[in-house]
Amino acid sequence: MADIAAPRRAASLAEVTPSLKKRRAAEARFKAYGIAAISVALFFLVALLSTVFYNGASAFQQTSIRLTVDLKQDVIDPQGRNTADAVMTGNVFRWGGLVDEALLSQLGIDPNDELLAADAQKLISGGARIYLRDYVAENLDQIGTKQEIWFLADGVVDAFMKGSISEETEESRRPIKDRQIAMLRQLEEAGALEKKFNTGLFTFGASSRAETAGVGAAMVGSMYMMLVVLALALPIGVAASIYLEEFAPKNRWTDLIEVNINNLAAVPSIVFGILGLAVFINFFGLPRSAALVGGLVLTLMTLPTIIIATRASLKAVPPSIREAALGVGASKMQAVFHHVLPLAMPGILTGTIIGLAQALGETAPLLMIGMVAFIADIPSGPTDPATALPVQIFMWANMAERAFVERTSAAIIVLLGFLLIMNVTAILLRKRFERRW
Amino acid sequence: MKDGDGALMGDTKVSATNVNVYYGEAHAIKDVSVEIGDKAVTAFIGPSGCGKSTFLRCINRMNDTIDICRVTGSILLEGEDINAKSVDPVQLRARVGMVFQKPNPFPKSIYDNVAYGPKIHGMATNKPDLDAIVESCLRKAALWDEVKDRLDKPGTGLSGGQQQRLCIARAIATSPEVLLMDEPCSALDPIATARVEELIDELRDSFAIVIVTHSMQQAARVSQKTAFFHLGVMVEYDDTDKIFTNPSDKRTQDYITGRFG
Repeated sequence: MADIAAPRRAASLAEVTPSLKKRRAAEARFKAYGIAAISVALFFLVALLSTVFYNGASAFQQTSIRLTVDLKQDVIDPQGRNTADAVMTGNVFRWGGLVDEALLSQLGIDPNDELLAADAQKLISGGARIYLRDYVAENLDQIGTKQEIWFLADGVVDAFMKGSISEETEESRRPIKDRQIAMLRQLEEAGALEKKFNTGLFTFGASSRAETAGVGAAMVGSMYMMLVVLALALPIGVAASIYLEEFAPKNRWTDLIEVNINNLAAVPSIVFGILGLAVFINFFGLPRSAALVGGLVLTLMTLPTIIIATRASLKAVPPSIREAALGVGASKMQAVFHHVLPLAMPGILTGTIIGLAQALGETAPLLMIGMVAFIADIPSGPTDPATALPVQIFMWANMAERAFVERTSAAIIVLLGFLLIMNVTAILLRKRFERRW
Repeated sequence: MKDGDGALMGDTKVSATNVNVYYGEAHAIKDVSVEIGDKAVTAFIGPSGCGKSTFLRCINRMNDTIDICRVTGSILLEGEDINAKSVDPVQLRARVGMVFQKPNPFPKSIYDNVAYGPKIHGMATNKPDLDAIVESCLRKAALWDEVKDRLDKPGTGLSGGQQQRLCIARAIATSPEVLLMDEPCSALDPIATARVEELIDELRDSFAIVIVTHSMQQAARVSQKTAFFHLGVMVEYDDTDKIFTNPSDKRTQDYITGRFG
């Protein structure tokens, strides 16, 4: 009472004053906002992942039909040389006959009933004869014998077996006829129709037949690009950061360079694609659609990320370590390479892998340099025409067939799998290097 | 220990004349001239920001690492100008070791911490030689008995006082002639401080030691000569006994009696 300025004090510690109430409410509100934000993010993540997995899971299985094929010598290799070369250069169109024959005899269909036979032939993938040729080339000793071989079923059959084409639909409105369905039932009863793990998804390249389309070529293309990015962006990025952070004088020029590097990180990726087209393809004359050019473009995109991450981790090394090294007479370069760089390594590796993961998922610049291409064969080197995983996803997403829809999601799963592996690698490497002194 | 008799001291090891240091526009050290004797401990005392650490760092050219720092005047190490164009600071720092305020061992093993200097200066070509250097330096730093069984363990795992002694071992491993110590005990507890002070007294036999300290008691305990810095000027430089008992400058008197600083 004597002193008006004295703060109003609660009579007991347990008393809740109005100001305390307000503070508690503010805190509770803030926590609620945080939880709400996280819940929304989680909801979308779960929605995204479950859609992708729901759509894509079925693509990891593929319907196959077992046929007993008579590998006739006079069709496969009339000259009787029985070499892989002779098999591979033979007339592959005649091979179809062997498959058809086996199928018709399996179903008990008279080959002279041409309409019925034609319907039966549509059950087997159009790629069956090529598969048979490759199979024989690897098993030359089986020429002239009868063998049980699993062939891929046609994409329509696969879709039907996975339930995306309903039997309830009117016959004229679905791509599979009643009598074809009957044949499938017959094969199923004989144990000659099965869904098997789809290894082709990982080994095939692009194909207009859904059942023989896979991400194999795209995966190899992406791998070549990542190798190019790693081989170029890591050394260039780390060298640039070390120079800028440890050696370069701090003046207007280095400030300008720093601002530009930070800005480069924000440049839209398609712009890098145009740059790559103009510089690498038009000016330097590198081949179009090649993983090398893709890798170079992605290197440009990844560099700022690596430089920013490396500089941050170099900055985080305490200056006392540099002083200690200089104090015992190490040169600046020795101080950096013996002491600062090892300590910054975990951060550099994390930055690099995040940059690589970003590059792995990049699509737009690759469209500009012609990597949106129909690549059926697996590229054998970085200068061969290639495509990349995200571009393959983009191309399949444009296809209407059910089999390509599920493949789109399957390719997304594969891509996410790779990103997961890279992130786990980043964490493991960081742990390893942090423990090692 | 507190035997400030100038006659006991060796010859002049470092002689600085009219040293000026500028940080950009700021004039941090003004016309400091000082002679530092061999086989003795010279203490620099003064209030914070008076320039004593800056001056210390001139002696092994650590200020070179600061872009805006400019040093004029001459500093001679055994008659050679350390700021001469032909002198590589790397060479100089092998002869003028430094111990920092905060213990800063490398995040490497205890062995590697001590062996690093001799290795980069090519002082030992084989493992036995290196082992011998490491052992003798750790012994001189009074650390050998505590760490001899765990030389491969990280130096950062030692206690603060042990870390600082490890840093001293690292500094003397390049067999320097001068040992600069920038407040070596300010991050240590009194017991660790006492051990480091004992060590400094022992090392005095082999090196010229320059120590910057905030503690006047420490300066009085370990040094034979004391320089008092104030506002970038060296106010007084004399035998430690004289500085603490009968300073000739009023400012020194005020500082050591605790009137400012």
